[in-house]
Amino acid sequence: MNVTLPNSETGISQALDLLRAPNARLVSIFGSTGDHHERYVHYLIDVNSREYRMFSSVVTGPIPSATPISPAAAWYERELHDQYGIECVGHPDPRPLLFHENWPENVHPMIDDVTHVPWAEGQYQFLKVQGAGVCEVPVGPIHAGIIEPGHFRFSVVGDTVLHLELRHFYTHKGTEKLFEGTPVIDGVMIAESVSGDNCFSHAVAYCQAIESAFGISVPPRAQALRLIGLELERMIAHIADVGAMCGDVGFNVPAAYTARIKETLLRASTRFFGTRFWRGMAVPGGVTRDFSSADTGEFGRMVAAAAGDFAEMARLILHTSSVQNRFESTGILTAEIARQTGVVGPVARASGIRLDVRCDHPSGRYRDINVDVPLYKYGDVLARARIRIDETAISMRLIHETLKQLPAGSVLVSVPLSENAEAWSAVESPRGELLYWVRIRDGKIARCHIKSPSFQNWPALPVAMPGNIIADFPLINKSFNLSYSGSDR
Amino acid sequence: MIGDAVERSLRSPQVLISVSELFSNAAGSRMPDVQPDLLTDEVARRVVAACPTSALKVDEAAGRTHLILNYGECIACSRCVAAGNGAFRYAERVARCGVRKKALIRRWDIQRRAEVVQDEPALSQAAEQIRSLVGRALNIRQVDAGSCNGCAGEILALTNPYYDLERFGIHFVASPKHADMLLVTGPVTRNMAAALKLAYDAVPSPKLVVAVGACGCSGGIFAGSHAVVGPVDAVIPVDGYIPGCPPTPSMLLTGIAHVLRPLLLPSRRRTA
Repeated sequence: MNVTLPNSETGISQALDLLRAPNARLVSIFGSTGDHHERYVHYLIDVNSREYRMFSSVVTGPIPSATPISPAAAWYERELHDQYGIECVGHPDPRPLLFHENWPENVHPMIDDVTHVPWAEGQYQFLKVQGAGVCEVPVGPIHAGIIEPGHFRFSVVGDTVLHLELRHFYTHKGTEKLFEGTPVIDGVMIAESVSGDNCFSHAVAYCQAIESAFGISVPPRAQALRLIGLELERMIAHIADVGAMCGDVGFNVPAAYTARIKETLLRASTRFFGTRFWRGMAVPGGVTRDFSSADTGEFGRMVAAAAGDFAEMARLILHTSSVQNRFESTGILTAEIARQTGVVGPVARASGIRLDVRCDHPSGRYRDINVDVPLYKYGDVLARARIRIDETAISMRLIHETLKQLPAGSVLVSVPLSENAEAWSAVESPRGELLYWVRIRDGKIARCHIKSPSFQNWPALPVAMPGNIIADFPLINKSFNLSYSGSDR
Repeated sequence: MIGDAVERSLRSPQVLISVSELFSNAAGSRMPDVQPDLLTDEVARRVVAACPTSALKVDEAAGRTHLILNYGECIACSRCVAAGNGAFRYAERVARCGVRKKALIRRWDIQRRAEVVQDEPALSQAAEQIRSLVGRALNIRQVDAGSCNGCAGEILALTNPYYDLERFGIHFVASPKHADMLLVTGPVTRNMAAALKLAYDAVPSPKLVVAVGACGCSGGIFAGSHAVVGPVDAVIPVDGYIPGCPPTPSMLLTGIAHVLRPLLLPSRRRTA
């Protein structure tokens, strides 16, 4: 289907044309409203893994869907419709995404009044797989373990999965709307509650966006401390993931062992920074806590000991034949599918796609250093485990080198509070590219869009499932380890 | 190589935390505590202005000025610690875990510079209560009703070798049908409200419900969102509240023990 766009909306066609190019990768599509309530659509595209390019256009009617050109756009355009009521013509699956049957069809929270939204009823239509012996297995939203809620609908024949359909957004909290009207210095507290296990990455990405909007330079020592926090968060996430993957193949000893290593790092954070997860550390303008030179040595030793302990256990894990048997060739995400779905982070790097914000779009301290990016090409559970094991060692080295050359000086500068500006900033969170786009009016957030790596990666998981047995799903899911809350927001 | 991994694990140091150290330990939670002798009108005014939620309030009824701290609404942002001129500091212990909603609220008389003790929960016995759990069995089903996963991560940490919840006979179970207690995290979202109700109905009676974290207790930073119904007690009855953003594993365990207290008292045990 073709949509004829008015001349004022050429930004859309420019973005769609660029998305056809092999060197372009869709980062995000999102909406906003202007000062006179007019709706805008924004396309953020990464060109050559070097430059983020933004295309914006006012929207007056239906717009052509980018999904037939780049499947990576599928969820963004469904979200765009849910939030702003912008119809994307030609979208292969225009069902609501954020809102379930309880939400009335014609209420779009970013443009409509949502003080009293009535409860609606309806029936969600899953894709029906038909044929002899096909069974449906519904799983969730409440799962067997201590994890976040989401629904998985498997169509199986015997043990083998033919099709998996995701139904998420059970933890949708209207977070992007909550930012609106929040003073810029308070917004970081919302950012920290988007995905609890990656709270420092979210805080830093938000703060960098604010700093970029106001043109503030963060003191070098604060930049170094942020790097330490980001790499520590990555280490903790990767160590826990590898342990949880062992737990999912019934190898409980390394699962408990890595949980212990993770706890030592959380306790080290408590000892030196007074916070287990670095909450409250990053604020616009820098960080809130510093540490003495005596403490840097002890902190560095604790991190190195934890990383060394993990490396040794990881070696034993990878040499265990039952682990090899379960990890190898399980849940393969091919490079082609990975590219089409636009996946980021460890999942992309395990499928041979070299993407890392720390190298491609460095900010802060990352501008001055080189980061090794490990790459595996098989895209199976084993590759995703290896990526995490390798990256843990790299993160430890980055922390070690940063501690050795910690710049002197202050860690916080003041931030102007009443200006109008717009900017974005990205960090490489443990799950991949995390980007905040902010629009500030009179010192308050007028719009904040979060490109979450989990939102980008979830649609790729069902593609890695067919042909695998249903008993391997927890393992494959864990090897992606995506955040529900980070995606649902 | 399974044996190698087991051997390495067996040679690793013992890290189990003792019960007395565990009890209500809030280190790293960034929850605030008040030094009443440093409390002034000026400090109270500043911390109330700094608080991003309504956890801190000044109550001027009846000719007295009280400072109110509601732990249930505190997102542990530590702004009061920064603005409080020494009168606010990080709490080493937060004993108000697993208590009734009213007991989450503390009050200080600013003129007298002293805490107004209204409804002191019997917290001194909590360490003893944790000990009394040993050898019993409690099955818990955790339900994430829309959290950011911060609380869920700390609940999971309870199973690590530092806290080793299993030593108290406490297990996490896969089905609400096997559970004695629901441990509910998060503000209840519109999209999770129905599932939470179903899970609650599936737990056999008698059952206990514990609301976890600032979001579970009050909605936290998500209170008022169009996509959120409210705190846990907006949807199902709650027996105890554990504050924190997120609460530490020690605070979680203290809260679980506290909710069980009435059931463990010898006089009540037979009739319960």
